Amino acid sequence: MTFKLSTFTTALLLGTASLSASADETCASPYMAKITGQEDFVYIWTLGAEGVGDEQDKLVTVDVNPKSKQYGKVIGSLSVGGRNEAHHSDFTDDRKFLWAGGLDTNKIFIFDVATDPAKPKLSKTITDFVAKSGGVVGPHSLYALPGRMIITGLSNNKDHGGRTAIVEYSNAGDYIATYWLPTDSNLEGAIKSGKYADGYNYDVRVLPRKNLMLTSSFTGWSNYMMDFGKMLADPEAMKRFGNTVVQWDLHSRQPKKVFDVPGAPLEIRCAWAEDHNYCFTSTALTSKIWLIHQDDKGEWQAKDVADIGEPAKIPLPVDISISSDDKTLWVNTFMDGMTRRFDISDPFHPKQVFEQKIGAQVNMVSSSWDGKRLYYTSSLLANWDKKGADNEQFFKAYSWDGSKLTEQFSIDFTKEKLGRAHQMRFGAYSLYGGSPK
Amino acid sequence: MIALLCFLLNLITPISQAQETKPLAPGYTALPFEPAKPGTYALPIITKAANGEVITTNNQPKHLHDLMGDKLVLLSFIYAACSDVNGCPLATQVLHKISRQLQKQPELADKLRLLTLSFNPTQDTPEMMRHYGEGFKTGDFDWQFLTTKDEASLQPILDGYQQNVQKVYDDKGQFTGTFSHLLRVYLIDKDKNVRNIYSVDFLHADTLINDVKTLLADAKPQVAPSTVPADVLFQPGDNKQNYQQVDYQTRSLALAQRQGQPAKLIDFALKPPLGLPKLPVSKDNPLTPAKIELGRKLFFDRRLSLNNTFSCAICHIPEQGFSNNEMTTAVGIEGRSVRRNSPSLYNVGYAQLLFHDGRENSLEQQAWGPLLAHNEMGNPSIGYVVDKLKASADYRGLFEKSFNKGPTMETIGQALASYQRTLNSADSPFDRWYFGKQKAAISEAARRGFALFTGKAACSTCHSIGEKTALFTDQKRHNTGVGYAESMQKSPEKQRVQVAPGVFVVVNSEHLKGVNTEKPGDLGYYEISQNPADRWAYKTPSLRNVALSAPYMHNGSLPTLAEVVKFYNQGGAANENLSPLLKPLGLSDRESDDLVAFLEALSGGNVGALVSDAFVAPVGDSGVTARPMSDPGKGR
Repeated sequence: MTFKLSTFTTALLLGTASLSASADETCASPYMAKITGQEDFVYIWTLGAEGVGDEQDKLVTVDVNPKSKQYGKVIGSLSVGGRNEAHHSDFTDDRKFLWAGGLDTNKIFIFDVATDPAKPKLSKTITDFVAKSGGVVGPHSLYALPGRMIITGLSNNKDHGGRTAIVEYSNAGDYIATYWLPTDSNLEGAIKSGKYADGYNYDVRVLPRKNLMLTSSFTGWSNYMMDFGKMLADPEAMKRFGNTVVQWDLHSRQPKKVFDVPGAPLEIRCAWAEDHNYCFTSTALTSKIWLIHQDDKGEWQAKDVADIGEPAKIPLPVDISISSDDKTLWVNTFMDGMTRRFDISDPFHPKQVFEQKIGAQVNMVSSSWDGKRLYYTSSLLANWDKKGADNEQFFKAYSWDGSKLTEQFSIDFTKEKLGRAHQMRFGAYSLYGGSPK
Repeated sequence: MIALLCFLLNLITPISQAQETKPLAPGYTALPFEPAKPGTYALPIITKAANGEVITTNNQPKHLHDLMGDKLVLLSFIYAACSDVNGCPLATQVLHKISRQLQKQPELADKLRLLTLSFNPTQDTPEMMRHYGEGFKTGDFDWQFLTTKDEASLQPILDGYQQNVQKVYDDKGQFTGTFSHLLRVYLIDKDKNVRNIYSVDFLHADTLINDVKTLLADAKPQVAPSTVPADVLFQPGDNKQNYQQVDYQTRSLALAQRQGQPAKLIDFALKPPLGLPKLPVSKDNPLTPAKIELGRKLFFDRRLSLNNTFSCAICHIPEQGFSNNEMTTAVGIEGRSVRRNSPSLYNVGYAQLLFHDGRENSLEQQAWGPLLAHNEMGNPSIGYVVDKLKASADYRGLFEKSFNKGPTMETIGQALASYQRTLNSADSPFDRWYFGKQKAAISEAARRGFALFTGKAACSTCHSIGEKTALFTDQKRHNTGVGYAESMQKSPEKQRVQVAPGVFVVVNSEHLKGVNTEKPGDLGYYEISQNPADRWAYKTPSLRNVALSAPYMHNGSLPTLAEVVKFYNQGGAANENLSPLLKPLGLSDRESDDLVAFLEALSGGNVGALVSDAFVAPVGDSGVTARPMSDPGKGR
């Protein structure tokens, strides 16, 4: 392969992204190399579905470069065996490998995306995550730190409940350490600022310049694997959701403060600008946007700043995506299949300024660096997805012109015999100094 | 220094003015936060530090490992021509700062070596590196500037440290003399292990020196966990009591504190606690410590399922009454719905009817039900389970020791049955009062409750109490109407859903239609007997330890004992097969409370011992390394 920086549309921001005045593919780790121009591929971590194709989880590669002859087409599908409850995936800091987790079987699949970005290869499968981590179940967020990955667990192998830990692995795929979330009987040195210290976990994001790491909280295996309708009707199950966000010392990996954020705070998105010392999260059950911000005294605080849709109808906000200029937060609500654009110019007063139905159900949203392209997928969790005709499984590409969301193409994952489309990550030849072969 | 661009980055980003506005990395300025104090945190081993052949500024060939082992090492990769302000110069600048700061702390300075290694051997000759180093070296601080013979000797080092370096070429395919690389600095201990990796955002002299001091202190940070009283420790660790209230507070236990002591389990079978009769023994499967130990290992082994996620203990959780308090009806492999509530396994050795509908009659046989059920442990065949155990190194010899033969359908069932036959729990406050004649063993309310239980409420007609012992079951099936009500009830138009502590929303069922699944029917023993008279008949469960196994009834539909008493006080749910034993009881509120107080007095005195023993059971997981088992003669 000849290394050639022949394009002006993509750039490497190796290691300097968080210092850049510019933004990125808006939700990635600040440690990671970014695609700033046109992405070539979207890798979709897809759940196998019984009765659909080969019924197993797979990494699906879609060509999304309008200049490509294969634009809008599935150009690769790599089956990994089993239904592992494929969920999230993310790159190592050098962006050579994509780590993809299975919330049920606790396997982590490591794909080489650098050798040929058009054709990811499975290079390693971690099968002993639970044993190595001391009983952590449900590898969720896979987040790049220098030379290693931080992995949030969702559950444990003792009661399949929500008490869990974050786990650190080296880029080579070797276990490093386990850090348990603070609980009442062992706050691990943290301050319980409110009424809750549930020990639950979900997403992780960092603000390196503030030495800040934040984790949110969802629910244990018993609930995330349970049939959604059954769970909503089960009052015992509905008590087992996280109500906390934890502030950590990023450098020492020690929890500092536990915030009450009731109703299952999920994805965390931190602002990019140097002086924007805040992050957002949204609560799935109580349908609110929360702001985690630094106050005048330098103390971190949590505040609910907006409702999402009509909370009384349980719209179920799922993925959120912050724009590179910190002005927009896209919020998807699963139950009504809507994507909602919030103006977050004033982070304390987000306002919904736009909404559009994407499908009968919608989960993930991923934005390009410049915010002009938005991609959507449908699947939330195998047993939470809608049933019957509402179980639309898709990957949809849209353009955004500042006021209008226009569909560019759509791929029906059931018709294509692929499965349930979940998380998206972008690939580009230019990341590796290459060009199409 | 030669002012060549390390990165073309800012020229090719869409925002070309980024160059002027690019802020300096934290390493150039005062640390913008208070770092954790040295020695208060851990720096776990990340990986082995790779070796490789390098050349010193004196043209001496060396192995990188020759320069490690006697001191801590900070290793950074640079190339001399690099000028990206937040790239190589940052690394060198930070190392320079460290060398200056440590000059004031000679006791530290002697224990640290700085290594700056070029990844551009073509340009960066030993002479060039010497020249480069002269600008930074502080006194006689141990800072060595290294290069390699050629790219061939460099590459394994780059690979070893996963240092991603790419030459940057121009439009014509000419090497521009610049590299794009991921800035990384490595902290390496005296055992040649990498203990931290720094990139731009974390490369700062203050945090680095703190890390050096932390490694030198070699002290494990200790956050003293509060001690957990035994009565709390052996309860569910994720306490959600009062979650309906706005003032709910967590009382969660750390999983790391979930530790116990092995119990001599066979004693609970050979000499059952006060209030239990002699344990019926299977002639084909006499109890032995070895079988119990093996059965316990199997019981907690998650590999006993198709995808290595389900053990028996995932649904029969020791601190949740060997049942599951966290859901009404169970969930199996891949999250598949199970129709019924996980029953408690306390005193299951006495049960003549197994499963809620009583369709099985021995624990040896019963074990294969969940193992093979598609929606429980999901094993595809008996042979699959047998072969999996045969292939597991940590089971080697264990079946042979217990049964004089390997794992088979028979011996697997026998081992699991053996462990479960030891889960006998009595010697409750009730037993001590009623059978042990200790007057003060139970409260006044519980005594009144007992009078109701055996009198006005007539609970003991089915939940029998004998003269010398009590199993609290008649070992029969009855229709109480719980199953009928579930089968026949119309779907409610509204559904009340809890979304946070003390926060409920009432949702139109129509709105949730999309996510609802058709519920499978459940007709009780009729499904086995095919006799319409047996519709919705389920077995009478023992009430021992009943306070520990909420929610109640075969479908978990009643969340508390108070609700159960209320249900029976109403005479159950009317239907044509309703047991004639059920009729409205006319209990007052106080009488209902007294009954609950009595039921709560049925928790066995050895619950803590059984749960504690379960906490030390090895949990089998995929990739778990074979752990030697303790001598079954001891402590079993």
